Amino acid sequence: MSLRTRSWGFLGSFNAMASPCELLMAVDDEHIARQMLNIAYDEAKRIEHKFSRFIEGNVLWQLNHAQGEIIPIDAETLHLLTFAEQCFQLSEAAFDISACPLMALWRFDGSHNVPAQSNIDNALRHVGFASIELTGNSIYMPAGMSVDFGGIGKEYAVDRTAKILAQRWPNQSVLVNFGGDIACPIIKTDGWQVGIENPHKLDNAAALLTIRQGALATSGNTRRYIEVNGKRYGHIINPKTGYPIEHAPLSVTVLAPNCVMAGMLATMSMLKGAVAEDFLQQQGVDFKVFR
Amino acid sequence: MQLTSKQSIASALALASCSLLSQQVSAVEMTPTNDDWKVDAAIMYYGEQDRVQAAEVIGNVQKAFGDSSLLDLKIVVDSLTGASASGAVAQDESQTFTRPSGDGQYTVDVGETPLDDTFHDTRVQLSANWQEVLNQDWTGNVGVYGSKEFDYLSMGINAGLERSFNKNNTTLALSGAFSNDVVDPVGGRPVAMSQMVFRGNYATDTDYQAAFDQTRLDGDDTKQTSDIMFGVTQIINRNWLMQANYGLSSVSGYMTDPYKILSEVDVNGQTQAYRYENRPDSRLKHSVFLLTKGALDSGVVDFSYRYSTDDWDIQSHTLETHYRYYFSPSMYGQLHLRYYQQQAAEFYQPFLMSGDAIPEFASADYRIGDMTAYTIGLKFGQRLSGGHELSYRIEYYQQNPENNGTELPGQLQNYDLFPAVKAIVAQVSYSF
Repeated sequence: MSLRTRSWGFLGSFNAMASPCELLMAVDDEHIARQMLNIAYDEAKRIEHKFSRFIEGNVLWQLNHAQGEIIPIDAETLHLLTFAEQCFQLSEAAFDISACPLMALWRFDGSHNVPAQSNIDNALRHVGFASIELTGNSIYMPAGMSVDFGGIGKEYAVDRTAKILAQRWPNQSVLVNFGGDIACPIIKTDGWQVGIENPHKLDNAAALLTIRQGALATSGNTRRYIEVNGKRYGHIINPKTGYPIEHAPLSVTVLAPNCVMAGMLATMSMLKGAVAEDFLQQQGVDFKVFR
Repeated sequence: MQLTSKQSIASALALASCSLLSQQVSAVEMTPTNDDWKVDAAIMYYGEQDRVQAAEVIGNVQKAFGDSSLLDLKIVVDSLTGASASGAVAQDESQTFTRPSGDGQYTVDVGETPLDDTFHDTRVQLSANWQEVLNQDWTGNVGVYGSKEFDYLSMGINAGLERSFNKNNTTLALSGAFSNDVVDPVGGRPVAMSQMVFRGNYATDTDYQAAFDQTRLDGDDTKQTSDIMFGVTQIINRNWLMQANYGLSSVSGYMTDPYKILSEVDVNGQTQAYRYENRPDSRLKHSVFLLTKGALDSGVVDFSYRYSTDDWDIQSHTLETHYRYYFSPSMYGQLHLRYYQQQAAEFYQPFLMSGDAIPEFASADYRIGDMTAYTIGLKFGQRLSGGHELSYRIEYYQQNPENNGTELPGQLQNYDLFPAVKAIVAQVSYSF
């Protein structure tokens, strides 16, 4: 965790959720900046520890190891699952957090392996949010199924952090940036300058946006894809077919009132493949698509 | 869910995300996740000037199981070396003492407080506690404890129950503990008030050994301790809370210090003999503890007072305060002050007089004599990245034993029979 002075205030940074995280604070009191940074760090870590797929024994691990038992869940987990369910319905089953078995088959590590069809068919049998049953305080998931908050967790952490900071310091502008998912809860009159990465030239900003308030999230396969026979398979998997979405954009960046919504719209538009732009146009949000 | 048109996805998402984010947000909500491990490790050094030195390693692991159960495991290993006051008085000639084991002797120079330098030991202490939140109002805990050193073994169990009232503003706690100790001193337990024998007074090793054995009892002995404590914690307002505890402790069994002796002196203050001390085999102790603790703008302060009294006539008062100041959210400094005053046990006496009847109970152990003691300490703690915490503590401790009104005959007036004990405590702790 580090805190550095900038002309406009303070820049805090740390690593969480496998991403570089930043907190831009337009405040002049180092004491407040440090408190804000601690809060952001604690919240990011709390959510990571609770919902990361890579931590054994946490809440998500318990969900995924219930072996078909009905298990009790806390309110926060229930809210996230309910949201995931709504996204599943809104996207007509295209966005599905239970697609883990498919994700496991597609190793986006630069290798040139397309999984065998038999494995894909096998994995498809354990995918489908429709078979998960949620009640007010418990979840039933058929044995062999598992869920992953990969498409929601980081955005959720951004919004939560932004909200905690805004409630405690309603007059201080901050920009929360966890690995490219961004929220600015309190209006900043001169705005924050945010660069959007050019997928053709990574680590170069292709576009500069000025954000005064709101959120921004990016979905893309710029850094994670496999290429087989000249065909690039991106990391967005269609849970209905078990194959990556074809003709999907390289990346989609969406601006929305909050980060969870921006992230979900970006992901859903990726799932639309060739008609991603039309979809976003219809939603009436600002966006940037790279192909 | 029926989708009327594509546009409705954005508005439906807006609604869904708002409901997701509208849960109660609070910055202080630090719910432990189910895999919450907390590890504390510390190294402590305790050093008395010219006397006991101790190094201690402490490891503490806490694991939470859900929000309702907590397991706490602790291990302490300490190693002691150095010398401690034997209870004998200083003399104007050098003194020779038989070691507690009966093997060999040690000599103390003119005018020096006799210290027994055979003192070194390693102690390993293990404890485990389980805390369970039974429901909104009740919390229970149970634990076991064991500690082993060369000549001492202690095993214990403890349990407690807490009940919260009026929205957790009042907590009542009741706890109890029982321990059984086995004392097996080096060289055996001395016969109470028997005289120390010396190799020099016997013609052969065999004669000496026979005489030494006469001053020793066979086998080990035990001691049982039962404690019960009742406490109330009351939250006064947003920033202050108060706590009051009453404790009753009953000990029965072997409480004599097998390594402590008394000098028997004549009217000139000259030592005629050394006798092994003896203490009663039961002790009932009451204590009352009051604490108030408050949150300040950028710090925390607490004050506490403890009064304790027992049927050995030892009474003590302790005043203590901690003041912690946060220089920044991730760094604090803490001041610790403690003052302690104790009235001697009824059977405490700095030495025995030749010709007087030998009392049933007597001890010259300065730790149960009249004394005052104070501690002044500083601690610094900082939060590192990754939520780790590092803290350093340094404390100065001074014990000032006092004469309980005993007149000092002859040469004893030339010496400080009640020397102060000065010690430094240094500790480094790391939590992750």
